Amino acid sequence: MKYAILVTVLVVSLVLAGCVQQPEEPAGEIKIGIVASLTGGASTTGLDMWQSAVLAADEINAKGGVKVGDEHMKVKLIQGDDETSREGGVKAVTKLITEDKVDLLIGGFSSGITYADSVVAAEHKVPFIITGASSPVITHRTDIDTSYFFHHCPTTDDYGESTTLFVDEIVKPAIYARFNFSEDRPLRMAVLYQDSAYGVGVYEGIKKTIEKYNLNMEIVAVEKFKMSETDFRSVLTTIKASKPDVLYPAAFLNEQTLIVAQGRRDVGLNTIYLSVECNDDPDYYTGVERWGEYSIQESRFGPYAIPSGPIRSAVEKFKHDFEAKWGAPPSMMGASTYEGVYIAAKAIENAGTLDKEQIRASLAELEMPQMVEAMKEGKITFSPDYRESKFELYMQQLLWDDAVGETRPKIVWPESVKETDFVLPSWYEPGSS
Amino acid sequence: MDVSFLIAILVWGLYAGCIYILLAIGLNLIFGVMKVVNFAHGELLMLGAYTTFWLYILSGFNPYLVLPLAMLLMAMLGLFIERLGFRPIMGTGKLNEIFLSLGLIYLFQNLAAFLWSTSSRSIRSPYSERIVPLGSIKLPMDYLIIIIITTLFLVALQLFLKKTTVGRAMRATSQNREAAALMGINVERMDMLSFALGSVLATAAGSLWVISGQMADPYMGSIPAIKAFAVIIIGGLGSIPGAILAGLTLGIAENMVPSLMKFLAGIIGFNMSFTAWKDTIAFFILIIILVIRPTGIFGEKGE
Amino acid sequence: MRLEWMNLKNTLKRDMIRSKTALAVCSGILAVLLPLVLGINYYLMTVLIIMLVFIIYSSAWNFLALSGQGSLGHAAFFGLGGYASAILARSLELPPLATILLGGIFAACIGVLIGLTCVRLREWFLAMVTFGFAVITHTITAELSWLTGGWDGIPAKKLVPVTIPNYIVYEYYILLFIAGAVILTLYLITRSRVGLALEAIRENELEAKVMGINVTRYKLTAFAVSAFLTGIAGALEIHHFGYITPEVYGIDISFWPIIYCISGGLFTLEGPILGTVIITILSEGLKSFGWTYERLILIGVILILVVIFLPKGFVSIPNKLKSRLKSHA
Repeated sequence: MKYAILVTVLVVSLVLAGCVQQPEEPAGEIKIGIVASLTGGASTTGLDMWQSAVLAADEINAKGGVKVGDEHMKVKLIQGDDETSREGGVKAVTKLITEDKVDLLIGGFSSGITYADSVVAAEHKVPFIITGASSPVITHRTDIDTSYFFHHCPTTDDYGESTTLFVDEIVKPAIYARFNFSEDRPLRMAVLYQDSAYGVGVYEGIKKTIEKYNLNMEIVAVEKFKMSETDFRSVLTTIKASKPDVLYPAAFLNEQTLIVAQGRRDVGLNTIYLSVECNDDPDYYTGVERWGEYSIQESRFGPYAIPSGPIRSAVEKFKHDFEAKWGAPPSMMGASTYEGVYIAAKAIENAGTLDKEQIRASLAELEMPQMVEAMKEGKITFSPDYRESKFELYMQQLLWDDAVGETRPKIVWPESVKETDFVLPSWYEPGSS
Repeated sequence: MDVSFLIAILVWGLYAGCIYILLAIGLNLIFGVMKVVNFAHGELLMLGAYTTFWLYILSGFNPYLVLPLAMLLMAMLGLFIERLGFRPIMGTGKLNEIFLSLGLIYLFQNLAAFLWSTSSRSIRSPYSERIVPLGSIKLPMDYLIIIIITTLFLVALQLFLKKTTVGRAMRATSQNREAAALMGINVERMDMLSFALGSVLATAAGSLWVISGQMADPYMGSIPAIKAFAVIIIGGLGSIPGAILAGLTLGIAENMVPSLMKFLAGIIGFNMSFTAWKDTIAFFILIIILVIRPTGIFGEKGE
Repeated sequence: MRLEWMNLKNTLKRDMIRSKTALAVCSGILAVLLPLVLGINYYLMTVLIIMLVFIIYSSAWNFLALSGQGSLGHAAFFGLGGYASAILARSLELPPLATILLGGIFAACIGVLIGLTCVRLREWFLAMVTFGFAVITHTITAELSWLTGGWDGIPAKKLVPVTIPNYIVYEYYILLFIAGAVILTLYLITRSRVGLALEAIRENELEAKVMGINVTRYKLTAFAVSAFLTGIAGALEIHHFGYITPEVYGIDISFWPIIYCISGGLFTLEGPILGTVIITILSEGLKSFGWTYERLILIGVILILVVIFLPKGFVSIPNKLKSRLKSHA
């Protein structure tokens, strides 16, 4: 009996210690919860998101904080580790909202996890700026009230659209000029996508774009592969047999590297490889070696190329400050999370209160200048229908750099920011005429 | 499907098969001697690949040259795992061995993620741009090197097991542990040796894989490990020739099946991608095999 | 002397049974009172609800292990139960509490089919088959997008409508009631002939056969019961979350119940409960100190140490302490 009581008391005290230890909130602070994967498969990205948010909060606080009504408030960030799992995500978001009493949430990376944990945010009516998850479904779903969700990162639809438009505008004329193809001939595109919400989303985005702009393009091969696949030789051979003019893989870094290397080296698929923005990462350029030369990398914020124009100095400053603070360069999910904190600060300042409904309304009407990523029309604002901000995505071509012994990206599109012209490599082989 | 494609598939299968064979033989050596299936074998592959990666980054040497040192270091880890982990639970039940392996998987993956983050790491082979023309197909030099190294390993292992006293003692322990112990063979030393050898082979598999283009991350071991289990189930627990045969078959089948399925589906008018179904098809076949023969294709009836 | 010893032993035994019952009653009362004592704490409720889901799930996994079958792919049943329930609740307009049962039954039916392929297999083969089965269900679920919503998943009705004030407390009590019922049922089953037969099969299948136990039937029963309860746990979880995606089939979902069972104590009724509670508290507690990978490494180390030094799990600690105290006295 004594043991029973002892154990019970122990359990209770542990539960209490673990769960209910937060003191009452001190006034004069804006609390922002950062939902990121700090453990599990997505933790490299998650850590980057957290560090970027910390940098933004430090900068804001160093300048005296945010003016809310008559008061100047500091920004306080609270970490919510979703553990790259649905259970972890739901627990983390619930804790941020109900224990830490955050005024706003920022982050969310994996779509599958965000589908589950955003339900909690909707239920408690807490504004959530999503800066990592790329699925458009998050703000389009109808089973919950999504009016508190603001999507501040390009969706899979956006990736597909800008890359497909680029191919139509730049790559196609280059190929057709060299090989004397008639204008009626549709461009032959092959798609190789990861079997996941992300991969399917990109494929859908490509199809929608071709239809929407009525492009003279034909998808000649569609293949999908399981996440973390390592052997693409046979599927690339099938794709090669379909005679594509360009190949658009929707893959993660470790897969994209292998697709390009195996395609060029083993299969001899000498075509233009396109790539989704998440691969614009130093590890990609190291891993893909010379095989990545002349391939196309879509991006909004990358480790090497910086788009010329109004945001150049802001990007340089962000990169410099981030590296000085954390010892490594930031990634694009970090960049949008960094902006997310500023967006939150601005919205709260405009609202003049910490009332969540007011913050939501203020976010919906927000209009602020772009920061470290180029936005459509140079400003950050959320579309009235699904509350998505619109990014100005750019295309880079990987060119060999003897000085570093790797390829480096050069911006080739759009016209306004390009550093150099797109080059159709001499070894390029088109599909059938 | 023309002839040159079939030859290409054969060569790629041979290369992929090498990785599976190295991993599966290690598993089989351990199983033979200790009757333990080490589910954490994929994590040895992962740690081995990281060891080679760090030796390569720190020394700047040709990665093929630092491989022996990585193998040596990992052999020591293998010894530790056997001595501190598996030996204390020997004979306490098969489930316990599975559970210990799960604990090791959990520990090693998270340790690697903690120490080295989950970024993808690559090793650049000095020969990565060399291509050996082989008739109609282009064979990357690295694949050739890997096929040769694996063959050398297999020959050396065979010589070791057949010709040396220690090797014979190991085989004797595999055949009958009690009898071997009675004959004066130190079976516990054989256990440690088998684990060290298994670890060495897994290191070779992981490192060669990464040198030839695969990227290293903390979770890279799970898929090849599962495939290696499939190999030893098909090839028979404890059988080394079986593992070689099944490893090659799996490597080739994996390269062939999606194209073949697509081809067949095309005949009946379906245009469908089967590449994402590779693992599913593999497990489906495995389950059918086990339904028909619960001990595996070449598995012995006993034990 | 001998008599005295017997007496002591009996008292100890009676003491233990009594203290176990007392402990069970105490924790039961505590669980019921918790929301009343602490007020409505959403986070605590969420943690406890997920904990209860995993208590049911781990107990179900443990029940299969009782028959000597260690599954590495129980996420398959977890997900099947969840999907079946979510789809039925949506298309038939049924309340989740009804479809949860149907989800469990669906999982049980599939469980019997998988059980049929597994009955003749040895431990590691069974591990491979169950693992592979989770991979297969994962792929097929994602492929059937017209039914399952593919990778984007589908919404699942909330267990208790969010419009009801303090709905989370009702959810908690529903979970608590179901978990209690499950544990009581498992207690009765393990106490019955079935439990004894399963233990005999686990200890020595051949001997059990010789003794006239229908091994296949009992193993299949274990599979059916385990899959049924796992399906219910999965359905409860997704109706709590309000959404289901193919992530429910993740490898980690298959591994967690194993981790909980091993650490708590295999083959016992209280082991999975204790393991789930302790590991969850440990993980959440360390997380609130800002630990990330460190806590996972710690859990890995604990797991390995338990397998080696405490094969009967945390539940055996009191006995170990007692016997140590006695030997000192």
